Amino acid sequence: MHRISSGGHSTPPSVRRPILNFGRSLNTSSEDSTISRNNSPHIAKDYVESLHQNSRAALLFGKNNVHVMPLKAEVTEPMPGYLSLHQTPSGLTIKWTPNQLMNGFSDESQDKSVYWDFALQVRLDEIVYVHCHQDSEAGGTVILVGQDGVQRPPIHFPKGGHMLAFLSCLETGLLPRGRLDPPLWSQRSGTNSNTRRRRPLPALSETEETTKDYVFRIIDNSDHKDILKRKDLMDTKASLPSRVRVQLCSTSTSSESSSKSFSLDQQSVPDSPPSVYIQAVCDSMKKQIISRAFYGWLAYCRHLSTVRTHLSGLVNSKIINGDGASEGITLEKWTELCIDGVVSDYGEVYRQTYFGGICNELRTEIWPYLLGHYKFGSTTEQRKELDEETKQAYENTMSEWLAVEAIVRQRDKEDQAHAIAKLSSESASGEPVPKEIQRDLSNEVFEDEITDDEDSMSEEEKIQSRKSRRNTIKYESDEDQQLNDEDNAEINLVQISSDPEALPSSSNCDKNDEDAEGRSQELNDFIHNVIVTNASLDITNVETDGAPVRNHLDAVTEENNSSLDTCIETHGLASPGRSACVSPASSNGGIYSQELLKTFGLNLHRIEKDVQRCDRNYWYFANENLDKLRNVMCTYVWEHLDIGYMQGMCDLVAPLLVTFDDESLTYACFCHLMERMIENFPNGNAMDCHFANMRSLIQILDAEMYEQMHAHGDYTHFYFCYRWFLLDFKRELVYSDVFKTWEVIWAAQQVASSHFVLFLALALLETYRDIILSNGMDFTDIIKFFNEMAERHDVNAILKLARELVLQLQILIENK
Amino acid sequence: MASNKKVLLKVIILGDSSVGKTSLMNQYVNRKFSNQYKATIGADFLTKEVTIDDRTVTMQIWDTAGQERFQSLGVAFYRGADCCVLVFDVTAPNTFKSLDSWRDEFLIQAAPREPDNFPFVLLGNKVDLEPRAISAKRAQQWCQSKNDIPYFETSAKEGLNVEQAFLAIAKNALAQQNQTVDLYNEFPDQIKLTNTQRPSNGSDSCAC
Repeated sequence: MHRISSGGHSTPPSVRRPILNFGRSLNTSSEDSTISRNNSPHIAKDYVESLHQNSRAALLFGKNNVHVMPLKAEVTEPMPGYLSLHQTPSGLTIKWTPNQLMNGFSDESQDKSVYWDFALQVRLDEIVYVHCHQDSEAGGTVILVGQDGVQRPPIHFPKGGHMLAFLSCLETGLLPRGRLDPPLWSQRSGTNSNTRRRRPLPALSETEETTKDYVFRIIDNSDHKDILKRKDLMDTKASLPSRVRVQLCSTSTSSESSSKSFSLDQQSVPDSPPSVYIQAVCDSMKKQIISRAFYGWLAYCRHLSTVRTHLSGLVNSKIINGDGASEGITLEKWTELCIDGVVSDYGEVYRQTYFGGICNELRTEIWPYLLGHYKFGSTTEQRKELDEETKQAYENTMSEWLAVEAIVRQRDKEDQAHAIAKLSSESASGEPVPKEIQRDLSNEVFEDEITDDEDSMSEEEKIQSRKSRRNTIKYESDEDQQLNDEDNAEINLVQISSDPEALPSSSNCDKNDEDAEGRSQELNDFIHNVIVTNASLDITNVETDGAPVRNHLDAVTEENNSSLDTCIETHGLASPGRSACVSPASSNGGIYSQELLKTFGLNLHRIEKDVQRCDRNYWYFANENLDKLRNVMCTYVWEHLDIGYMQGMCDLVAPLLVTFDDESLTYACFCHLMERMIENFPNGNAMDCHFANMRSLIQILDAEMYEQMHAHGDYTHFYFCYRWFLLDFKRELVYSDVFKTWEVIWAAQQVASSHFVLFLALALLETYRDIILSNGMDFTDIIKFFNEMAERHDVNAILKLARELVLQLQILIENK
Repeated sequence: MASNKKVLLKVIILGDSSVGKTSLMNQYVNRKFSNQYKATIGADFLTKEVTIDDRTVTMQIWDTAGQERFQSLGVAFYRGADCCVLVFDVTAPNTFKSLDSWRDEFLIQAAPREPDNFPFVLLGNKVDLEPRAISAKRAQQWCQSKNDIPYFETSAKEGLNVEQAFLAIAKNALAQQNQTVDLYNEFPDQIKLTNTQRPSNGSDSCAC
């Protein structure tokens, strides 16, 4: 550490001129820069001795023949002298003593007293900047600049790296309370990897050709001193950081960054006396811990605020415990709850169901309560009455749509026949189909032939709708007359609804309108006429083709009006107007408009396609029970034609039908179920809400999973949950598990959360969290995974986890 | 060049409900037919490795819900498709009529770079069933009007023509993908499967 230059004491003073006005004090720069000239020789001796290593001050650096230009007007050239750097308890001191004083204290002192004025003594704590000018020819110059901005006399080092040696000693001497900025020896201080502040300081060595100038700032780490003073204060509050720190960890604030910045501080104060140094480090640590704890706490508060803002609506605020409800509603428990056929403690029913489910034998009885069909507190008689009403209404509605179905079927048959005729004539001759056949072809097929005429098509459609409206008015007046003849109508209703799949009450009709070809000529006439009203569209079509068929069509329209009367009379198709449960279509339109026939026909076909492939591998639907499903579905769609059939509805009816095995009860409960579920279908907005809520839930409760979803192609749109939400997990689970899940979802609304499906979805994701994370699944992976896992989930574990997740969120929100 | 790289071809099957999309996919991938398939809700896909011109490619065949109301979901699934398979039921005229809307909707949602040249393949399924409502001629006419889409008549139930159809689908998908890859090759002249006069728009799909 201590360096004493090995340079010889050879050079004699270059300036020997007497200083004339040595008596004048011209200490303009600073009082400490010179020593009083009145020093006696023996003081001078002491002074020179003080320049060496001694007990009061450590000598850090010494070099002779360092030239200084003293701040005296008389001196015009730099004088050589001895430069030394001392460390005293009060700080570093730089001294420069002219050679004359150094060499000749044994000589007569008279001649030398003048040089005392030139001697320099600089306390380093007054110095802020160290300017270094380096010249490859002449060595280096150091200029010290004080806090007041005043420069001390330039110190000129001879060649040979002496300036660098001086600066190096200076930097070392400044530690630990001060340092050079930028550090001189940054690469040296980091014996390990801490070399990030490497500077081109080797250029300070004089091998460089060009002049290099550097400015170092001397930084006094007095703030460290302040911290030392505040140390005691902190110790008294030591319990605070440790307590908050727990929360810090719980919010998983990265501890990585704190350790990083800690090591950084460590680096800035290397090679220092250990005790002071460690204290500084400890303080720095303490400060960081406190600040991090604070930010952690702040983050935690914000987190809670986010949770409350975004997620509080997802769970009920009141936490209901599941004590004694793990068994769910057993037969014994039901006898306690259902007293004389009256169930009044609905809270307990919901609670038991939510936490433990319902035993299979009781589902038929309890599900109608959960779905809102039966009212809690109702008597057995009231419910029986309701059942009867439900059944009656259901059968009435069925009779309505069955009549329409018969028409649709007949039309289909004709359409098909014509299509086949067209196809055969097309393939046989390659010539255009004869007009007569073409006229009766279904528009939908026909349209393809004239697709290049789309504008006129829409016009035609307008004409068609106008015409059918006009016709409808006519029918209404017809109907008014007809309504007087109710008995007649009723009899004939039975006749027309003689479909094998028709309602039970009409099953005595053995005739099938599909099989018995020439069964009812009147019916055929009627159907034909309905189709002919459609011909108003065909007229235009044919006209575009330029075919002269107007006369024929006029005739048909005539026939239409007259024969329709007959039709209504004989078949009682006005019956819907008389039905207790009037359908919207029949109530205002009477006999079915083209629009209605078309719409219902379309829905009917869709329903049949889906019914045919609904859970065929499940025993219940392996047989005629499919017809029950179809009836329930058609009844619902008939009553909700504006909604229409949408894929997935069959899946929602099926578990209800399996449970109740009763069409009307299934229908009534399905209507209640759909009140919530309809919003999930394409026209509603619940699905988007579910996705958005899932996003919030995952983001807040499982940030790691969210990050991965985001990183792997960003599937935070959560489309892979689509089927889960659309069908209340029906496709994800086997039937017995669907039952368990559905009743919990229904009860959850009253007990814990009306968004329980979200927590089920979350439970599914969390159950397979490790697999999802470790495989770095992307969107396709996760779709594949869950499609393959369908019907293989452990439903009890998932329901349990979902309930726990609800509770977790409830507690999080409650803990303010 | 890229021949050794693993190639993934994304194929989307579209068409009205109950035309046999799921059945076709399963017949092709698993060589089996079941009459117990459920209506597809959301989307599912199967993968199959095929060798085309000494090149092994993985086909990722996406099966979607057939009801047109669920088309809005398509945007999540159609992106990055290399080929779109349109399916109709030869015994159901309406399913043929819907083809235009399926094609248009796909082009809107998948937003391929060059809608006019995006590969489609048309499959007329259920040829094993009688009576037939749409003739091959009519289907072919439609295909011609849509930039000569390849047409296959298939029976997923009997496995008729399914293999051939999907091979053509894979080839078309691969050609489409190569075209995209070509834009980014340093030496595009080395592989020239089709005309390369395509504008080099930004691409998000490549062979790797």
